[in-house]
This record gives sequence, C-alpha cells and structure tokens, in this order.
Amino acid sequence: MSVSAYFKEEGTAAVSVELISEVEQRLYREVRFLDDEEYRKWTDMMTPDVHYFMPGIETRYRKDKTDQMNDLSRMAYYNDNLEELGKRIDRLETGTAWSEDPATRFCHIISNIEVETTDNPDEVLVYSNFLVYRNRLERDEDTLIGSRKDLWRREDGVLKLAKRRILLKQNVLISKNMNVYF
Amino acid sequence: MPIENMSGPRPDYSRYMDIEKGWVDRRIFADQAIYEQELYQIFARCWLFLAHDSQIPKPGDFITTHMGEDNVIVVRQKDNSVKAFLNSCTHRGNKVCFADAGNARRFVCNYHGWSFDNAGELKGMHEEYCYEEGDINKEDWGLKQVAQIDSYKGLIFATFDETAPSLETFLGDFRWYLDALLDNEEGGTEFVGGTIKSVIGANWKFGVENFIGDALHAGWTHDSGCRAMNNGQPFPPVDMQNSFHASVNGHGWEFGMEGVGDIFLLGRPKVMEYYERIRPQMAKRLGEVRSKIFGSVASASIFPNVSFLPGIHTFRTWNPKGPYELELKTFVIVNKEMAEEIKDDITKGVMTTFGPGGAFEMDDGENWENCTTVNRGVVTRQEKLHYGCGISRKIDHPDMPGTIYRGQYNDSNQRLFYQRWADMMNAQGWDDVPERHKSQLGGRATRDIPTMKKA
Repeated sequence: MSVSAYFKEEGTAAVSVELISEVEQRLYREVRFLDDEEYRKWTDMMTPDVHYFMPGIETRYRKDKTDQMNDLSRMAYYNDNLEELGKRIDRLETGTAWSEDPATRFCHIISNIEVETTDNPDEVLVYSNFLVYRNRLERDEDTLIGSRKDLWRREDGVLKLAKRRILLKQNVLISKNMNVYF
Repeated sequence: MPIENMSGPRPDYSRYMDIEKGWVDRRIFADQAIYEQELYQIFARCWLFLAHDSQIPKPGDFITTHMGEDNVIVVRQKDNSVKAFLNSCTHRGNKVCFADAGNARRFVCNYHGWSFDNAGELKGMHEEYCYEEGDINKEDWGLKQVAQIDSYKGLIFATFDETAPSLETFLGDFRWYLDALLDNEEGGTEFVGGTIKSVIGANWKFGVENFIGDALHAGWTHDSGCRAMNNGQPFPPVDMQNSFHASVNGHGWEFGMEGVGDIFLLGRPKVMEYYERIRPQMAKRLGEVRSKIFGSVASASIFPNVSFLPGIHTFRTWNPKGPYELELKTFVIVNKEMAEEIKDDITKGVMTTFGPGGAFEMDDGENWENCTTVNRGVVTRQEKLHYGCGISRKIDHPDMPGTIYRGQYNDSNQRLFYQRWADMMNAQGWDDVPERHKSQLGGRATRDIPTMKKA
C-alpha cells in the first residue's frame, strides 16, 4: 500500500524573531494548560480540523522500508481528530475516572524549538522536543521523552495547532497507561 | 528433549485455592518460586499464541515474540509453512534478531557472525576455517525449534512440549466460541499493521482473569470510559437470565446475547452498521446463537495468556516478566472482507478505547498494579481473595458447549481458569492433566456443526 506523507508542507527556516517568539509562547502555554489539567483550554488552541497523531513505532532493521511515520492505518497511541480528543477529555470530566483521582502530577518541558515558514503565509512548521514527567500516588513515576513536528495555522490572527505528529522514543511503553498528552 | 525442571519437590498447588468454596490464595500472584514454576509447568508446556497469519504473509517475513520469558522468532517459510525457534545463538547465546518484525533470509549473530537461515539452521560463521574437521556438525547446532507449531483459523500457536496434545485438543470445544470471532464472515480475520507494547506492574494472571470473566468490573471501573465514548450513557444493563460464562479447559468467554454491547462500546456507528448488515449471513454461517454472542458485551481469554474483546476488536497477550510485572502486547483484529474505511474506523476505535491511552484501558492498569503490589506485604500475601460470585448458577445449556454458568456477572470462568492453572502446575506430564470438560464437538470445522453432539 502506498502511503502519502503526513506533512505535505515544505519549510524554510524562519527569520523573524517575532514569529519564533510567538510560536514559542504558544508551545509553552499549551503545556502549561496540560500541566494544570486545563484540557478544554488546550483544545481551544487547535483548529477545528486538527489531527493529533502519535504512531506506535516497532523496532525494525534499517533496510526495512515499512513507513511507520506516515501510515495512518497502522496502530497508534493517538490518531485523533478534535471530536476524538474531546471524548478522551470527556472521560476526565465524568467524576469516575478512578485512575485520575487522586490527581496525577505532570510536568511538560519543551525544548529544541525550530520554526519554518511554508508557501502558505498563514502556516508554519514547528519542530520541538519534549520531556514529560509524570508522578502519581506514592512513587509511581514515568518519564516520556520524544520529538514533535507540528503545523500551526493563523486563524483570526491567532496561531492554532492544525497538525501534530509525536514520536515517543520508546519501543515498549514503559508505563501502565498513557494518560498524558504532548 | 523434554524441558528439565531444575527445581526441587513441588507443593500441591490445589491448596492455593478452593474452587468449590470460591477463594484463591494471593501467593500465586506474588511468590517468586511459584512464578518460576509457572514458566516450567505452564509456559514451557501449553500451546501459546505466536502470531496471526496476516503478520507474516510472505516467505522470510518474521516477527519476534515471547513464549513465557523465552524470546522466539516466528518465520514464514518458502513452502508457506511457519517455523518458530529461540532467538538465541547456539554459540554463546546472544540474540540473533533485534527487530520486532521484518523480512529476512538469514539471522546473523553480532558476536561471532554465526549465520542461521530463516528456517533456523546453522549455515556458516565468521572465520569458519578455524573449526577443524570434527569440531562441529552444523546440522546439530541450529536454533532450537519449538516442539510443535500449528494454527487455528489464522492464529498461529506453538508449544515447547513434544508430548502436548494437538492444538485442536488443547483448544477443544472452545473452538465453537472462537469461530464467532475468527470465522464470522467469509475470508476470516487479519491483524492491522503494528503492535503496541506496554509494561504493567501487575501479575500476568490479573489481565487474563479480567478478560476471561470479569464483566462485573466493567460498569464500575470503566464508567468514565463508557460515558466518554457514548455521549454520557452508562454501561448497558446486563440481562442475568440471558447471559453466560462458558469455560473449556481453562479457556473462557463471558457474554450476553444481545448482540450489540461491545460494538456499542467501540463508539463507532459505521462499525455497528457493518455488523448489522452481515448479521443475517453470520447467523446462517454460525447459527443463531453464535450470531447473537458475537458483538454482545463480552470478553474472553485463551489459556494461558491470550485475551480479546469480540466486537471491540482488541487482541492481546499478557507476557510474564516476574510475579510483579507483565508486558502487554496489543493488536487489532478485523475481518479481511471489510472495506479499508471500516478497518481504519475500528483501529481508531480500539486506540481510543483499549490502547494504552484508551478511555477504558487507562483504569485497568492501575487496578491490577495495586492488586499485585499490595502482596509485597507478607501478611497481606497470605490472605485469601473471594471468587464466589455465582457459584451456584451452573446450568446445562442445550446449545452451548463447555461448563456453563448463568449470569454474566460471575466468577465462574475465573474459578475454572485457576483450576486449570492448578491442574497444569500439579501435573508431571500431560497424561496427568485432568480432562474437566469432555470434548463434545468433532473435527475442526466447528462452524459446520449447528448443534453439538452429545458425548
């Protein structure tokens, strides 16, 4: 099966410090909302057609050409549109999400931010790395590290997340669940 | 060569439970010595699930997986058969394959360059000239093959025990139920691409017993997941008169007869439409009863460590990693005949419900971890756990094979799983394993037998 590229946009390094700074502030605000469990405010930073993708990556030899990064028909941790992300958040608001009560402690650290302009003046490509620390109950802890590639689109003057692909740098998820967003 | 069990005398494992009274001793979830015995007595002897045919369609296609804690490579051969052998070089024991999946003609060890073909035979090594005549007979030093390998309707199983009964016998009448998953439409099933693996700090049996019969936890543990997926609606009510536990040789399936519950929980209307459309065909194919079992609120496990949710389409193995840890491998199983659009919809549905980030799965891991880790306390560990729900509701059912209990909220399949566990742990050989359920179905094609033959 031929698989089309997840990102069709070509990027060129951004030169405007203002733009870079604006993007950085958006990324930091996002993860502040995630750390504070302000999930609706987080999804309000997305475009209505957002796609949120975190493929499950098998360990394969270099010569293996299976396209694990772009194929949306394969298994994935997240392969969500806005409605599907919303359902996950609905769960947290039911009052019966037992594994979130007592609350989990999250800390998202975002770094290695790069901004690229595209042919579309309203869209930028954004690269970043994350370190997400999760601590729960007495001594439950997980550290999830990976990279992201995003497409942000200016709508009504504000940059919104339109597409995100997250690559977790683990083969076996060393954690009992994935109650965390990136 | 039989697998030699190096440990000393073993206790009578039946003392860790009373199936008639309905309790199980917690030490079976915590004790390191018992865990070691499980690797010998259960995982080195039973038929274990390796792969779905569709994961390795072409010659040379392979996946690596675990049988107990033994790592194996499963490879499609030129003649379309499948071989499975230890992923461990016969020279110093290093792994010869480091990928989860792929295609290979050879598996070459990184240490001294010993090279095995994809049937596991030793073909050569680095600086082969240094071996003199008589130093090695390469034919004797291939990768250790499983003792038996076979498949049932797309699912490939193997055992390390040459004395194990056939796969057909091992699955027994449970095939009647398995067909509702594997054979409900022409063309059978396939796995979607990829495998997602995660670690849960829980004993492997907690995963298996949850899927084998624990309908009761669903409405409570997963209330949040159900409401989230289905616009605030709670779990559909269970009809205790018309829902059942069925157990065969430690395998078990708990189910309603309403036909739609699990499909509803997937939260994908298009998938529901699909099954409603093929249901009349399914009834012709499998009979009325099984066409109602499929898709109902249901869950199932194949002894010792495979589970699935028919209708939700998650398929998984619980791999033992010591008494306090398991590695969960999850897959998505779909019908081959489905349009790509339906397969994609199911895959998305599984990942939002029963992937590690799924709205349902999320709350299970934490429960099982705590069920397990509390037993680090030596006093806690010696306490019993209650498994008595529905203990008096055993019935004979004219249409359903196996040991049947009425009422989906029941511990029956769990009790019978632990009984099989004790039977395996106690048995010196397969001849000692008691036959708790006499097979009533003949032949492989259980689909063609509308009602079972009385024994």
